[in-house]
Amino acid sequence: MKTDVLHAVRLARLDLTLVARNTTVLFNVLLLPLLMAWMFTGAQGGAEVAGVPGGAFVLTGVPGLMLGFAVFINLVNSFTARREELVLKRLRGGQPSALAVMAGSGLGALALLLGQMALLGIWLHRTEGVLPANVPLILLAAVLGVIVFALLAAAFSGLTPNAEMAQITVLPVLMVMLLGAPIAFPLDVLPGPLGTVSGLLPVTPVVEMMRTGFLGADHFSSGGEALSTAGQWVAALPSIGIMAVWIGVTGLLARWLFRWEPRHG
Amino acid sequence: MRTPQLADRVGAASGGLDDVIEVGGLRQRYGDFEAVRGISFTVPRGEVFALLGTNGAGKTTTMEVLEGFRPATDGTVRVLGLDPVRQQRELRPRVGIMLQEGGFLGDLTVAETVDLWKGLSEDAGRPVTLSGGAELPGRLTLMGRVRGVDRATMGALELVGLESKARVKVKQLSGGQKRRLDLALAVLSAPEVLFLDEPTTGMDPEARRTTWKVIEDLRDAGTSVLLTTHYLEEAERLATRLAIMHEGRIHTHGTVEEVVAASGDRIAFRLPGTSWTFGDLPVLDGVAPVLTYAGGGDGTAARPAAGSPAAPSTAPFTEVVYTLTGADTETRAHAALRPLMAWADGRGAALERLAVRRGTLEDVFMRVVGEQR
Repeated sequence: MKTDVLHAVRLARLDLTLVARNTTVLFNVLLLPLLMAWMFTGAQGGAEVAGVPGGAFVLTGVPGLMLGFAVFINLVNSFTARREELVLKRLRGGQPSALAVMAGSGLGALALLLGQMALLGIWLHRTEGVLPANVPLILLAAVLGVIVFALLAAAFSGLTPNAEMAQITVLPVLMVMLLGAPIAFPLDVLPGPLGTVSGLLPVTPVVEMMRTGFLGADHFSSGGEALSTAGQWVAALPSIGIMAVWIGVTGLLARWLFRWEPRHG
Repeated sequence: MRTPQLADRVGAASGGLDDVIEVGGLRQRYGDFEAVRGISFTVPRGEVFALLGTNGAGKTTTMEVLEGFRPATDGTVRVLGLDPVRQQRELRPRVGIMLQEGGFLGDLTVAETVDLWKGLSEDAGRPVTLSGGAELPGRLTLMGRVRGVDRATMGALELVGLESKARVKVKQLSGGQKRRLDLALAVLSAPEVLFLDEPTTGMDPEARRTTWKVIEDLRDAGTSVLLTTHYLEEAERLATRLAIMHEGRIHTHGTVEEVVAASGDRIAFRLPGTSWTFGDLPVLDGVAPVLTYAGGGDGTAARPAAGSPAAPSTAPFTEVVYTLTGADTETRAHAALRPLMAWADGRGAALERLAVRRGTLEDVFMRVVGEQR
């Protein structure tokens, strides 16, 4: 167990080194969501959304985008490329266990996400004067989101024949994440049943937990009333439950679809 | 080229087990295709065992089952007395694997790759103590600070002759250089068992010799090695025992001496003209010769043997080959020459291009592969 943790940390550091050396990944994974955040805040103007300024609403929703880029796309790419280049096979034949290899990638992605969120926090403070109200809730949302989307990435890499195709196989998930989650607009904009479906998708609970954690107000329903810390945790319980179910589902998908080696001829 | 530290560690780690690798009735199936069809062999501690065979013979599949990449379809497999799949956690730190190809992160430098592997090995409780390499100091460049390279990493690179490539990106290495880096990674943690899948493919002759020396030093230090190769001289030089695989089965196995001796000694010569028949020639050591007619421009008698194209301009001749497989492997060739010479004297025939040679591994290999075709 201790060995697995040490291995995972070492592999996560390796991932960060490699991301830093790859300009394409740096742009796609790190810069793009921040650019989109800037565009969305511009589009919202100064109007109020769900009881908060538009800028604050969007910026607290952007971690949902980052889950798509820094975690999901990044990991589908890296799992697929490393499988085809036999890196995964070599790692598994070396010292780290399968669990440590997966955990390492997840940990690296979590570090990227938290780094971006720190930038976002500064941005939010500078423009909206908001300080995060409930950091543990934000961190829990990040961890749950990374687990689900890392597992989903593992599953999707199994469906992706090579690294070039990864750009295409990630699209359906990305579209759903962009359109079906309350990143730039609240859920009640979506017509009845779509809103319910969106609430059950894995990105919505994360965004709602993040937004509540940042703003200290109830953003699970569309109310936006201020909540005590305990109230925030209680309100977050259904979201945590949905994420737990998704961890189970994506875990099974990953187990079923993920491959360590390229297919034989 | 030095491995004293490696040697001490391997020696100390050895337990009491005699057979380090045990394979019994192994079968491996991929869908409808059976890549390995019931093979058995054992590798004693401190020996190099070579698996020879053509492409697709099942060598790599056998390796991958032993390395724990996939469970056996049928049969038993043990490495250091452990199940390679179910007891992978216990086994992994004690085993070194050199895959047939690839698996490097191209954006890392050679030294960073070794550092990564060294770190992973240390995390698993097997610190790397190779030393001897002269440390490379860190330095400042326009792009930022380049990290130094420590002694252990340089020692590993020196072992395989890559010390001058420490700061080169892995993607810029040649195929043979990648194989050498691969070897450095496989031996880094002083494994008790080493799996080498075609270790010298793509290497230049000098690198191949360096690699052989590394493997020999490890073997002498008590590491057990399972090796696959296409190069027969590699197997002859390194292996104590070998097995020749073809289409998923082991056809010949034993010590190199045994296998080569079983291939028989050859006596070959030419007789002028093409009128010779079996009846004309003596039986030596209980063996009749194989006659091949060749040469001559008339076309009637020209029957060139496969693999020995006769020049059409030469005079017709008969190629005679005896393959002696008598029990006395040491003196059978000598014993056969006396009656042969007596026969030649009696006939007044000259044995042209007379050659006597021991069988080679290649003879055995070609027979195994040829029998099946």
